[in-house]
Amino acid sequence: MTAPPRPAAASASAPGPGASRPDADRPDTSRPGTARFSPARLAWLRSPVVLGVPAAAIAAGVAVLLVIGSGATPAEAGQALADGMFGTDYAIGVSFNGVAVLMLIAVGFSVAHRVGLVNVGGEGQLCLGALAGTAVGVKLGDGLPRALGTPLVLAAGFAAGALWAGIAAYLKVRRGTSEVITTLLLNFVGIGLVSLAVHEEALLRQPVTSSETLPQSEPVASSGRLPLLDAATSPATIAIVVAVASALVVAVVLRHTATGLRLKAAGRSAPAARRAGLPVGRLEGGALAVAGGFAGLAGAVLVATAPYVLDEGLSSGYGFAGLVVGLLARGSLTAVAAVALLLGFLVSGGINLQIAAGVPASTVQVAQSVLVVCIAGAMRWTAARPGGGAR
Amino acid sequence: MSPVSDLLSGGVHLALPVLLAASGELISERAGVLNLSLEGMMLTGAFASVAGALQSGDATVGVLCGVAAAVLFAALQAVLSVTLRADQVVVGIAANALALGATTYGSRVMLGDDRNATVPSFDELPVPGLSDIPYVGPALFAHTALGYAALALVAVIGLAASRRTGLGLAVDAAGEDAETADRSGLPVRGIRYACVLLAGLTAGLGGAQLALSEVHAFTDNMTAGIGYLAVVAVIAGRWRALPTALACVFFGIAQALQFTAPALGVDLPVAVLVMSPYVIALLAVSGLVGRSRAPACLTVPFARTG
Repeated sequence: MTAPPRPAAASASAPGPGASRPDADRPDTSRPGTARFSPARLAWLRSPVVLGVPAAAIAAGVAVLLVIGSGATPAEAGQALADGMFGTDYAIGVSFNGVAVLMLIAVGFSVAHRVGLVNVGGEGQLCLGALAGTAVGVKLGDGLPRALGTPLVLAAGFAAGALWAGIAAYLKVRRGTSEVITTLLLNFVGIGLVSLAVHEEALLRQPVTSSETLPQSEPVASSGRLPLLDAATSPATIAIVVAVASALVVAVVLRHTATGLRLKAAGRSAPAARRAGLPVGRLEGGALAVAGGFAGLAGAVLVATAPYVLDEGLSSGYGFAGLVVGLLARGSLTAVAAVALLLGFLVSGGINLQIAAGVPASTVQVAQSVLVVCIAGAMRWTAARPGGGAR
Repeated sequence: MSPVSDLLSGGVHLALPVLLAASGELISERAGVLNLSLEGMMLTGAFASVAGALQSGDATVGVLCGVAAAVLFAALQAVLSVTLRADQVVVGIAANALALGATTYGSRVMLGDDRNATVPSFDELPVPGLSDIPYVGPALFAHTALGYAALALVAVIGLAASRRTGLGLAVDAAGEDAETADRSGLPVRGIRYACVLLAGLTAGLGGAQLALSEVHAFTDNMTAGIGYLAVVAVIAGRWRALPTALACVFFGIAQALQFTAPALGVDLPVAVLVMSPYVIALLAVSGLVGRSRAPACLTVPFARTG
């Protein structure tokens, strides 16, 4: 259920074991030693579909156990989950908005992944993007045309996310500090900055008029908000269009341009790329900054969506879920779209799980992480090594 | 007590859970396994110790439950990163999310009714005389029974696995050159398993210390990133015992600033104080301590070839 669609994986790379990773073109046919487990006719066993189905089954099994443990019946919970995902037009719209956020973060993750970096800082970059988006958004005049205001908000988010990831990029390139550790720590600082901004009137907090004034920003001006796709029926915004367009652009750049090839070369072997004269540091730094930019864009999208305010609970785990999408998609942007669609709907259904069936919403989070653990554990089996970490 | 004394004492008390977790993590990283899941191990330990203490009515049983749960959790990390040779970063982050989700779920389902019940926990046992020494006394000699045990355990681990013992050398061999260690007859995977489980033990104890000696309750995501601080302390301490311990105390004091800043006359927004340990940690890993060399096989899984 989570496996990327076959045509995507197959068209992106050579058929065979490498199909699980678009940039791992046919290593197994040229080097018999690595194909120890898989004579060519058993190669299909290593495809992500074969891996994804049992992993998803295990995750679903755990979820069912947790549902039973909390005193609900699986049927009730399933109904609540389905209602939350696509029971009403409203639910579908909210789900699609969530999908867009996950997709943007995962698109960015894929860019960094291509040069072999693991960006675990989506949460912090999203926070900074939301901060910048809000800072610009509340200042916009209502008279400004939306065609100008909304792009300004989104651009501010992208820039802020890129700068935030740029800190990690600088440390990685100049000092050799692992981007995993720095982006991870920057998450906590980013979350702290949002909390700071919404608690201080001098920053972004709305004017405090009574003791009941919530610690949140003023709403983003109407000229900075994302237009709704179909205002009459659904809260879905054009965020999903922005996300799909981003995925398409990145897919084309990665697959069909010289930059894409350079990124891939640097990711496959930094020393070899260096010897070939590629600016490996610039490629790594740039890719990480772009990854942060997309996460920042996701943050700006969040504040440009109803209720149009910045508050402390804004990100609520999108950073991690986006990382999961990126990890599961393993570099394929078609898979990013598919997995984001699945997880986005699941997460938004999970909220209703708590409201309607009394099952803790964390059930979905547990299932999600069980899924990642299973996939990570079976990674060797599919012969696809994730870009970062073990270097 | 003077504010400075408060800050020092608060810092050491907040540092103790981090120090515990970091002591196991240091050994594990020297053996070549990075446990980002330390955060999840601590959270699991905190949750299980509170659940155990509530069920049994005995804080000691709670500690045992916490440690057992965290070691089981560490076994998951060990199987994945040593036997299945999975990416340690991915496993660590996923395991943390798993622990966060599972303990949040668990506290809804298991602690739901006793949410307001008093958790059997540990009281401070100041050492007569010594705890009255200005500044140092309250910081070092006013811990709970669990706290003293934790300090002793950290010291024992530090000594037993120092670079001057056979044990410490074996650990370093597994982390610096797994292949050679294997050829010379050392059980590389066994050592790594033991080290990851040790990290689970100390992190679980750290979680129990946090929940039963400091907070006296379990709250959702109560570790809130201090497990990551423990990992960073090891890196900032350049994989050496004393600098790592110092880094932990430093992070502890940065955390304690939240509570003592007003008394010290420092008027900073809470959010700034909450994120300050992470800013300091970032500075620490980004070269403030100078370049350092990680164990050569850190995050590199080992398998015999040929």
